[in-house]
Amino acid sequence: MASAIQPPVRKPDAPFYFKTSEHLLRIGRYRANNLAQLLNAIQSCPEDSIFQHTFRTLQEHHFIRQGFSNDFAHWSLFACNEPMLAEQLASVDIREFTSIEGVRRRMIEIVDHFLHAQPDSGSRPAQEPFYFCASDIVVLPTPYSPETLKGFLDGLNQVSVHSIHHHFIEARLRLKRMSNDFSTWLEEDVGLADAADAIERIDIYTNTMEGVRLQIARIVSQAIN
Amino acid sequence: MDSENQSASSHGTSSPSQPSGEIQERSTSPGMRFPERRLADRRNGRSVPASLLTPPTPPPPPHLDDYASIVGRAQIESLRFLADQLKGKSIKMVNSTALGGGVAEMLNRLIPLLSELQVPTHWDVITGGNDFFEVTKAFHNALHGKAYELTQAAKHIFLMYTEQNRQRMHFEEEMVVIHDPQPLGLVLSRAKTPASWVWRCHIDLSNPDRRVWEFLRPFVEHYDAAIFSSQSFARQLSIPQYLFYPCIDPLSEKNRELSDAEIQQVCDDFGIDRSRPIVTQVSRFDRLKDPVGVVQAYKLAKKYVDCQLVLAGGGANDDPEGAAVLQETRDAAGDDPDVVILDLPPWCALQINAIQRASTIIVQKSLKEGFGLTVTEALWKGKPTIAGAVGGIPNQIIHNLTGVLVHSVEGCAFQIRYLLTHPEFARTIGANGREHVKENFLMSSNVKRWLLLFRILEQAKARLPKAA
Repeated sequence: MASAIQPPVRKPDAPFYFKTSEHLLRIGRYRANNLAQLLNAIQSCPEDSIFQHTFRTLQEHHFIRQGFSNDFAHWSLFACNEPMLAEQLASVDIREFTSIEGVRRRMIEIVDHFLHAQPDSGSRPAQEPFYFCASDIVVLPTPYSPETLKGFLDGLNQVSVHSIHHHFIEARLRLKRMSNDFSTWLEEDVGLADAADAIERIDIYTNTMEGVRLQIARIVSQAIN
Repeated sequence: MDSENQSASSHGTSSPSQPSGEIQERSTSPGMRFPERRLADRRNGRSVPASLLTPPTPPPPPHLDDYASIVGRAQIESLRFLADQLKGKSIKMVNSTALGGGVAEMLNRLIPLLSELQVPTHWDVITGGNDFFEVTKAFHNALHGKAYELTQAAKHIFLMYTEQNRQRMHFEEEMVVIHDPQPLGLVLSRAKTPASWVWRCHIDLSNPDRRVWEFLRPFVEHYDAAIFSSQSFARQLSIPQYLFYPCIDPLSEKNRELSDAEIQQVCDDFGIDRSRPIVTQVSRFDRLKDPVGVVQAYKLAKKYVDCQLVLAGGGANDDPEGAAVLQETRDAAGDDPDVVILDLPPWCALQINAIQRASTIIVQKSLKEGFGLTVTEALWKGKPTIAGAVGGIPNQIIHNLTGVLVHSVEGCAFQIRYLLTHPEFARTIGANGREHVKENFLMSSNVKRWLLLFRILEQAKARLPKAA
C-alpha cells in the first residue's frame, strides 16, 4: 500500500532569530534556615527569585539528566532530609506555568500542605541555609537568523545551550502561553504543526539541555524528510 | 582572595601602573630557589628533578579565541556581543599587590581578555607603609572572624594611607572596581567621578569581627554594588550584591590538557604507580585542610580497597605551622610506602596538574575553606571528587551529582571505598563536575560576569535623572 503523500515543507514566512540570554546572579535579602522560613520566604520574595530557583535551575544544571528539577526540591532533600517534600516539589513541571506567580502559588501550596501534615519539620534546622538569589538578565543576539529549515538546523546546532533554554523554557513566560519559540515558529511560520507539538512534548526533566537540542533537531529533520 | 588561590599558576603579562619600590611584596619572588630537602618525602628514596628548584619561564597569556575549543564558539560570540555595547568605555581595577596572591593572578589573566574585547581595563595598586599593611592584614583576619582590638591608631593609619592614595590616583574610567578591604576607602573619591563603583570582596564576611565590620561598612555602602564569591560570604547591605565565583584558567599550566607522557613523567619523578588506584589531596599543609584526617580516611578505606595516597602541597617552607603540620602528616602516614607526601614550591603547576590527572579520586577534606579552587581544578579534570561541605565547596559540589560532600573522616573513608568500587558512578559525577566547572568556574565565565555587570551598571546609570 502506498504511503500518504506529505505536502512539501514550505519556505518559512519569516526568519527564526536565535537569541540567547545571559544571567548575572544577585544575592537576595531572603534566606531560610528551616522549612517554615522557606515557606515565608517563598511567599514574600521577589518574582525574580522564584524564577531563579525554578526556571533557571534547569539552565544552571543543564548537564544533569536526573535528580535536579528545582532548587527548593534539592534543598529540601539534602539540607532538610525531607524526601517526600522533595519529591513533591521536584514533580512541579515549570512548563505548566506561564507566570511566575503560578509557580509561586504551587510551591507555597506544596510546602504549606507538608508542614500542616508534619508540623515538627517546620522548625528543624537545615544543614545549610537556603539563600534566595535572583538574576539580572541581558538578552543578546546571535549570528544566526535562518530563513530556511536547513538553516534553522544549522543554527540550532551552533548556538549555546543558553539559547536553547531561552527559546524553549523561558519563552513561555514571555509568550504567556503553553508553547515555546521553536514550536511557535514551526507552527505559525512553517506550517509544521505536528513537529511543533512533538517538540513541545520533549521531557526537560529527563534530558540534558544538549539532549533537548538533539531531540528538536531530530524532530525537525524528520519533518523535512 | 584566600591564600588557597595562591597556588594557581600565573603567567600573565599585565602589570599595574604603580610607583616601583613602594609596594610590599609578600609573595615568592621569581628567581627564588626552593630548598631541595622540602620537595618530597624521600623516605622511599624518590628522586627530585632539579628542574623544579627554580620557577619556569611563564608562557604568554592566551587570547579569547583560544578558549573557543573549550567553551564553544557560541560562548565567545556572546562575549563579543556583550562587549560591543561597551566599546570606548573603560574599567579601572585597584588592589593592594601587583604580584602574588589570587587577585593579582586573576587580574593578570582577565585584563588582557577585556582589552582584547576593546574594553580597556587599567590596573592600579595602592601603596602604603608597613604600618598600613599590618593594619589591613589585621582587618583581613578580623573580617574572617578573628577577634581584634580596633584602636583609634589603626583607624588613623587606614584613613591616612587611604587619603594618600586618593590624592595620587585618578578615576576617569566608567567603572571602578576595588578589590578587598585594603583600598576600600578610595570610594571617598566617587563624588568627583562619573564612574560606577564596585567593591569586589574576595574574603568570607559571614562572621566578621563586629567592630572592624562596623568601621568598614559605611565605606562598602557607598559603592554601587558589591561582589562576593559565595552567597554564604555576603552580609546584609543596602546595595545590590552580586555573586561572582572565583575561576580557574583552563589554559594555564595548572589546568591545560596534558599528554600521557607528561603525566607519566611526573608520576615517575615522584614514585607514583599509575597501575594502581591513586587518591590525592592537593593543598597547603594547613590544619584547616586536614591532611592528617585524609591519611586516617585513607587508612580506613585501605582495609577494603587497594590504593595509594598522594598529599601534594606547599606552605611548609615559609610557615612554621606548615612545617609542623607536614611533620604531623608524615607521622600519621608512618612507614606506609603507598603514601607519597610532596611539599612542592608554588611554581609546580604542571606537576600538580599531572598528579591530579593521574588520580583516580581527588579529596579536599577541608574543615574550613574559602571557595576551594583545588576542588574546581579537580572537577575540571573530570575527577570524582570528595570534599568537606564547607565554605564555597557546596557551590561546586552538588552532593551525588557533581561530587560527594563529607563531614567526617569516616564519611570520607566510605566515599573513597564506594567510588573506587563503583567506577560507573564515579565517571558520571566526574563528567558532571567538569560540565559544572565549564558552565560556572572558568575564566571565560569570569569575563562574561564583568561585562554583564558593566552593562547592567551602565544601564542603571542611564536611567538615573540627570543632575541639574
